[in-house]
Amino acid sequence: MQQVFTARMLRAACAAANLFFCACLLHAQAPSTVPAVAPAPTFREILDETGRTIRVPQPVHRIVSLAPSLTETIYDLGFQDRLVGDTDYCDFPPEAQKKSKVGGAVNPSLEAIAALHPDLVLVTKSLNRLETVLSLAELGIPSYATDPHTVAEIISSTERLSEVLGAPEVGTTLAKEMQRRLADTQHRVAPLPARRVLFVVWREPLISVGRDTFIADALQHAGAVSIVDSGQSWPQVNLEEVVRQQPEFLIFAQSHSEAAPADVDVLANLPGWRGLEAVRNRRYAVVSDAVNRPAPRIVSAIEDLAKQLHPEAFLEKPETGNDKADKPNSPPADNSPRSISPIASAHLNSIPAEGGACDR
Amino acid sequence: MRPLTFSRLLLRCGILAAILFAVVIVALKFGAVRVSLYGLGLDLIHVMLRQNSVISSEYGMIVIDIRLPRILLAVVVGASLSVAGTSFQALLRNPLADPYVLGVSSGAALGAILALIAEPHLALSPSFTALLTPLGAFLGAAATITVVYFLGRREGQIDSGTLLLAGIVSASFLSAIIMFLMTTLTGRDFRGMAFWLMGDLSTSLQESVRWVLGAGFIIATGAIYTTASDLNLLLSGEKEAMHLGVDVPRVRLVVYIAASLLTGLAVSVSGAIGYVGLLVPHVMRLIFGSDHRILIPTAAFGGAIAVVLADTLARTVVAPSELPVGAMTALAGAPLFLYLLRRRLA
Amino acid sequence: MNSAAQARTAWHNSTEASRATGEVRLSVEQVSYAYSANPTQAPLFTLEANSFQARPGEIVAILGPNASGKSTLLKLIAGALEPLSGRVLLNGFVTHSLSPRIRAQRIAMVQQESRLLFPSRAWEFVLQGRHAYGRALRFETADDVLIAKNALAQVGAEHLSDRWMDQISGGEKQRVILARALSQQPLLLLLDEPTLHLDIGAQVDLLDALRRLAAENRYTVVVVTHELNLAAEYADQVVLLQRGKSLRVGPPASVYQRELLEQVFQTPLSVELGSSGRPRVSVLPGT
Repeated sequence: MQQVFTARMLRAACAAANLFFCACLLHAQAPSTVPAVAPAPTFREILDETGRTIRVPQPVHRIVSLAPSLTETIYDLGFQDRLVGDTDYCDFPPEAQKKSKVGGAVNPSLEAIAALHPDLVLVTKSLNRLETVLSLAELGIPSYATDPHTVAEIISSTERLSEVLGAPEVGTTLAKEMQRRLADTQHRVAPLPARRVLFVVWREPLISVGRDTFIADALQHAGAVSIVDSGQSWPQVNLEEVVRQQPEFLIFAQSHSEAAPADVDVLANLPGWRGLEAVRNRRYAVVSDAVNRPAPRIVSAIEDLAKQLHPEAFLEKPETGNDKADKPNSPPADNSPRSISPIASAHLNSIPAEGGACDR
Repeated sequence: MRPLTFSRLLLRCGILAAILFAVVIVALKFGAVRVSLYGLGLDLIHVMLRQNSVISSEYGMIVIDIRLPRILLAVVVGASLSVAGTSFQALLRNPLADPYVLGVSSGAALGAILALIAEPHLALSPSFTALLTPLGAFLGAAATITVVYFLGRREGQIDSGTLLLAGIVSASFLSAIIMFLMTTLTGRDFRGMAFWLMGDLSTSLQESVRWVLGAGFIIATGAIYTTASDLNLLLSGEKEAMHLGVDVPRVRLVVYIAASLLTGLAVSVSGAIGYVGLLVPHVMRLIFGSDHRILIPTAAFGGAIAVVLADTLARTVVAPSELPVGAMTALAGAPLFLYLLRRRLA
Repeated sequence: MNSAAQARTAWHNSTEASRATGEVRLSVEQVSYAYSANPTQAPLFTLEANSFQARPGEIVAILGPNASGKSTLLKLIAGALEPLSGRVLLNGFVTHSLSPRIRAQRIAMVQQESRLLFPSRAWEFVLQGRHAYGRALRFETADDVLIAKNALAQVGAEHLSDRWMDQISGGEKQRVILARALSQQPLLLLLDEPTLHLDIGAQVDLLDALRRLAAENRYTVVVVTHELNLAAEYADQVVLLQRGKSLRVGPPASVYQRELLEQVFQTPLSVELGSSGRPRVSVLPGT
């Protein structure tokens, strides 16, 4: 009798548990919540850079950024007060590290993003996954995607983003400034033959950048040309081929380049790498990680790289008589590459202290 | 002499169901965002009473829209993989068999990668794009199941040894293709694919996919369960089983298709979560014995519990970042298995 | 429904009839078989037309050297293989055309056990014999348990009931396997080289048990063996095979002729009359 009773109890318990699960399953189908009551917000339909049309509430008060480059851009545009969350990897400027973190760029926590109640999430096609965007859309959170492939596109992308966020004039000003500085650099290095370089993303295996990346474009702006001509974004290159091509410079992107000289010393002792003149003669350049991010700071990186590759084009001429530079068309007037309009100046000025052409 | 009875089966399942229930509640509470137990309880009651609008938006969206579907997905995926693992171990008469040994997960991974590569070239509406990866994965799985079936036959019937070899060879071949294709992926796709390969429960699924998953699980597990006593006899040997009255070819076919279906569905939506299909059947066997009439349901519960726990850990240990679920299942499962093994032999 | 019920009635009647009158239960009629690895190639092995009959309570020994087709013949009798020609009738029903489930209720096979993947207890093992009597998804009934216990008792292995199958000796295992066959409550009991790994004491025990069981439960027993003396001692009929051909069928006295045996086993032998009245074969060492 006791057994039968227990069995019946258990059956009932199992049935109840099953019902509960079924109920949950059925109700977990669609978003079930009603947003907090507020005056009906206005929406704007926007086309993002991947061709998707999104509905963005106006004005945009709360932004979550899922890419370090976009976080930097927000700060450069001066909208950091509206930034409520970013990824673990958003480390520049340093204040960005204090924002609420939502996880990685490839695998952010949907919960953390949702808990911040953003009006808009910023993503970039090269770093974030479509699944994330779609999952956010199911929760009623729109995502704006950028997709710059060249430096010019970075500039226009920044301008468009500023417009999307409701302050187009800020973006226009910043874009103009960036274009001016690029033109200045271009002016200085254009007459000189472009340096043939190898941009080292990873040493073992040896990975460089493809021709359709914005890094390759940045190299061009800095008066360099990558010896790697590949359609892939991150091609693995053969060291033998590199030795055959004998690039003039190696370029490393590092945030702390105190290690760089030691690294190159190590390389000089490795077979294969030893065959590179650039290694033997210690002809390498180090630029900040800014070159890896499609953000306004890339302009600084381009300038810095140009200085390392073509130092003769950047000598300051306090008096025009100093003829160390054998280039007749150094710009006479605007000597200082640092004169920029005040609005967005603070962060564009972050030229890393490290690096310098090491022509030993 | 104490043969299995229905009430004993129900008792054990009841205990496991209660444990699963508790684990689900725990999983709902913990996550990257703090949720109070009281608020949670209220919300769940509101859900059951269909009073969705009363849920406060603070907890409601996070728990009901994000966590609960994910946990339920973990339940179904964990149960599917464990039942599939149990079935393959019986079908192939091999204690090292897991749901992926016959190449289903490699086929699914290949389908997912191909979908990923093809996606930019297809002009699809967003809702269909979301379906593309699970669909591609499932088609890849289905194709592999079919090919391995035909390769694994001898004299017109499935032969365990041939099937195992065909599956292993197919898995290797597909893995080679996958390796090649992965080198062509961009950085973001590469990382995304790596997460998928390690097992990823974070993608939210469309309604249609959920229904297919749930229905497929119930049908396939039901089909396997009807062969439970046949599987007991199959483990004594196929010839012996035939002489004892088992329709061996029919049982093999049913189990192969149903277990592969379970694996294909699970992998299509969540990637290749490892170790669950291999270890949970063994743990359950050590606790409950090898009678498949109790092993199959307990393995289902055990797998659900294991994956929900692993996913909760994956979500919370380094919050707000997430670790891959497969790493959690391996880290937790292997020591547990060793412990139980030593106890059994002591 | 109707035809199944009719079939069951027909079976019941014929079984009762044969039990009562001692009529022929097993009839092997001109059964032959050929096995080739490739359908297009010539057969690797051929079993030529074989015939014999057996009654309830009889023990038949299929005797012959290795690779003479003994196991193949046994499988044909069991209905596991389809004969190339001829047929095997069990109480008038063709064994091969029965479904595996029905077949398992009438024919029990005792083979060398393959390695058990996951160990089970002896009682679980014996209960497997009841599988053919239940629907899918059923649990064992009290009747099943009783029959299984009975089967273990009949082979003198009740004390092994709770032991693990991988922890008992070869002879004990053989008895448990036999008990499983008995729990199928068959009419026909087939054994393939049951004495292969047993010592002489265990061999005699086993065959004594078979003789007793055949008499008590009216089984028809067919044993495949190459043990000449055991076959002579215990079998009522002997089928002598050589390379797929049945050379002689009959009681031991008529089959155990020296020239015949020497031709089949390719070794000098001497045949005498044993103390039990059965032939006894001795090996003559080579010269």
